[in-house]
Amino acid sequence: MADNVLSVPRVRASSGLRWEVQRRRTWVLFLIPALLIYTVFMAFPLFNSMRLSLYTGQGLTPDRFVGFDNYVALFTNPLWRDRFFNALGNTFVFFAIHMLVQNTLGLLFAVLLSNPALRGRSIYRAIIFLPATLSVLVTGFLWRLILNPRWGMLNQLLEAVGLGALARPWLGDPVLALPVISLVSSWQWVGLPTMMFLAGLLTIPDELSEAARVDGASPWQVFWRIKLPLLMPVIGIVSVLTFVGNFNAFDVIFAMAGARGEPGYATDLLATFFYRTAIAGEHPVAQPNMGVGAAVATIMFLILLTGVSIWLIFSRRREGQQLY
Amino acid sequence: MRHRLLVVVILVLASLLTFSAGVLAQDQPITLTMGSWRVDDVAQMQVILDAFNAVYPNITIVFDPTNPPDYNATLRTQLEGGTAPDLFYLRSYATSRQLFEEGFLEPLDDLPGLMENFTPEARAPWATEDGLPYGVPFIAVSHGIYYNKDIFSELGLSIPQTWEELLAAAQTIKDAGYDAFANASGDEWTIAEIVFMNLAPTFIGGYEGRQAYLNGERCFNDPHAVAAFQAVADIAPFLPDGQEALTYYDSQQLFLMGEAAMWMGGSWDIPFFESQQPDFEWSVFAIPAPEGQEMGYVTFHMDAGMGLNAAAPEANKAAARKFLEWMTTPEFAALMGNNLPGFFPLIDQPIALDNVHADEFLALNEGRGLDVRWAWEKLLDGSPDGYTLMQNGALAVIAGTMTPQEAADALQAGLAQWFEPAQTCAAQ
Repeated sequence: MADNVLSVPRVRASSGLRWEVQRRRTWVLFLIPALLIYTVFMAFPLFNSMRLSLYTGQGLTPDRFVGFDNYVALFTNPLWRDRFFNALGNTFVFFAIHMLVQNTLGLLFAVLLSNPALRGRSIYRAIIFLPATLSVLVTGFLWRLILNPRWGMLNQLLEAVGLGALARPWLGDPVLALPVISLVSSWQWVGLPTMMFLAGLLTIPDELSEAARVDGASPWQVFWRIKLPLLMPVIGIVSVLTFVGNFNAFDVIFAMAGARGEPGYATDLLATFFYRTAIAGEHPVAQPNMGVGAAVATIMFLILLTGVSIWLIFSRRREGQQLY
Repeated sequence: MRHRLLVVVILVLASLLTFSAGVLAQDQPITLTMGSWRVDDVAQMQVILDAFNAVYPNITIVFDPTNPPDYNATLRTQLEGGTAPDLFYLRSYATSRQLFEEGFLEPLDDLPGLMENFTPEARAPWATEDGLPYGVPFIAVSHGIYYNKDIFSELGLSIPQTWEELLAAAQTIKDAGYDAFANASGDEWTIAEIVFMNLAPTFIGGYEGRQAYLNGERCFNDPHAVAAFQAVADIAPFLPDGQEALTYYDSQQLFLMGEAAMWMGGSWDIPFFESQQPDFEWSVFAIPAPEGQEMGYVTFHMDAGMGLNAAAPEANKAAARKFLEWMTTPEFAALMGNNLPGFFPLIDQPIALDNVHADEFLALNEGRGLDVRWAWEKLLDGSPDGYTLMQNGALAVIAGTMTPQEAADALQAGLAQWFEPAQTCAAQ
């Protein structure tokens, strides 16, 4: 009897353990398809491109192993170095303008749209989000027309209001071209941070701002002291998405300034530099150097990895603070 | 008896089989593919290929072009992967030379008609240093100055005979409220290819002058090169307002709308200009030589050859050789020149063209020295390449950030990094 009494829970425990093991095995089974797809289409190409960056040769399959020569060339050969650091610097400017203009405007729009007293909110929301639904090639072309120094609407508008002296060949000026394209891109994508900030603002309980107001806080203080701190996680996500998107940006430059980042490489970003190096080559020779291109891609990956890791560490730390 | 019958039957069958095999080998229809970067020419090439098909009914050629910027890389990938077309367009000089040296191209020294119907100069862009050809000279494009005849007659201008007259005419046109030249730097390659390399032969002395740079007799910052950059500086004040951001297409429109009187352009624009039917008369004149220089020059650029894939099956190669042989005939040259107005045959025989504008363009060659674009031969083979250096120099001269002397110095310094004749030229 005693043996039986004792043995019952033991049997239960072991069958429970077995069940647990089986359950975990089933989980793994569910993971396999995704893991397989991820390995074949993400991990393998990623590591293969890193491997390629150590090789040199013509055409699709660089086959001569050269160690880190491609990286050395990229950082020391003036022909590569100047283009690379120019593109890197431009990419940071591109990113900074998006952070400053696109995300700040997005926050402003979200705050305005979250105000229940504002009439026609859904119309404004649709207008703000509309450009994000269009193809970059289409908006890029439209903006090229608007900015055309000869027939473009912008310069004609400036002239009509007596500011003709401000008219410029916007996309042909090495100083203005990159900021102008960054602003066009900010205009196009401002709807996305707006939506994310709006969603974030709507999850903040009204009680908090009401209580603050009862305590005598001004609307500005309510925003600055209550809403903004609670919005920090969303701001973090928006920043990291902007960072990833901008450091991979190619299409808007390609549409508005061409793959060479004209005028005079003033709008050349890392992605356009990569495209010319690895895929298209330089006109008119058009013979790409895939090894150096893979090195550029690897450096872009490392920059992105560093940025995202920093964000992950900070957001983890914040989560920890909130939990304990 | 039975045995003998069997033998006879077998013999008859065997002879029938070999006979039909022979017939098959001769008459079996064969389809070849042709690679190209001319995506705009599908309909026109079909006419030419149909004409070939009428002569050789068993050989059908499928024209399969690739987007121009991707062509070199795509072709190389195809050649390495064994999926390349049987026949394909060849870029001139180094790009194709490299393909030949790597064994992707069939040598064509035994092709009937190739040696007889083309000059060594015409064969050179698709031949080794010793003259072994690996491509049939196919297409040349010419360069000059398009002009609006109506504006010229309105202002009482005639075709400028000297560079100085051209600048004076430009001033007259500008004073009358038109743009003198429609050219602009919004698409940077246009400044290199249809402005700088269009006028360069006139200032460096054409083929002989260019060879003097390539064999180290001249440095790239000698007075001739400075004069070529100076010519760009001369026309800079006559470019349209906002030219920094006006594209190739914008420039074409400025000319077609009658707002600009001249357009330094290439002959390939003829079909587009004709299709737009501008409401004025237009024609073309050659870059005039500076005062005191007798000889005039035209940039007559050898643009495309036709190559034979060395890895194609023997049957395809034999059929492709028939086509290449046909390409060396005057019939083909006339067909090509007439179906692709603005693209000129390279054959060493006078060809009459039906298209008036194309004929006028080709007539500029008479009595003038012809040469290819300056950067193409040898100067593209290293980094920084001559094309980019010339383009950057010309753009800087237009923008006013460099003097012509500085632009030429930058060209010399850049090429001296890898091009041996540029390193040794000072000593000569």
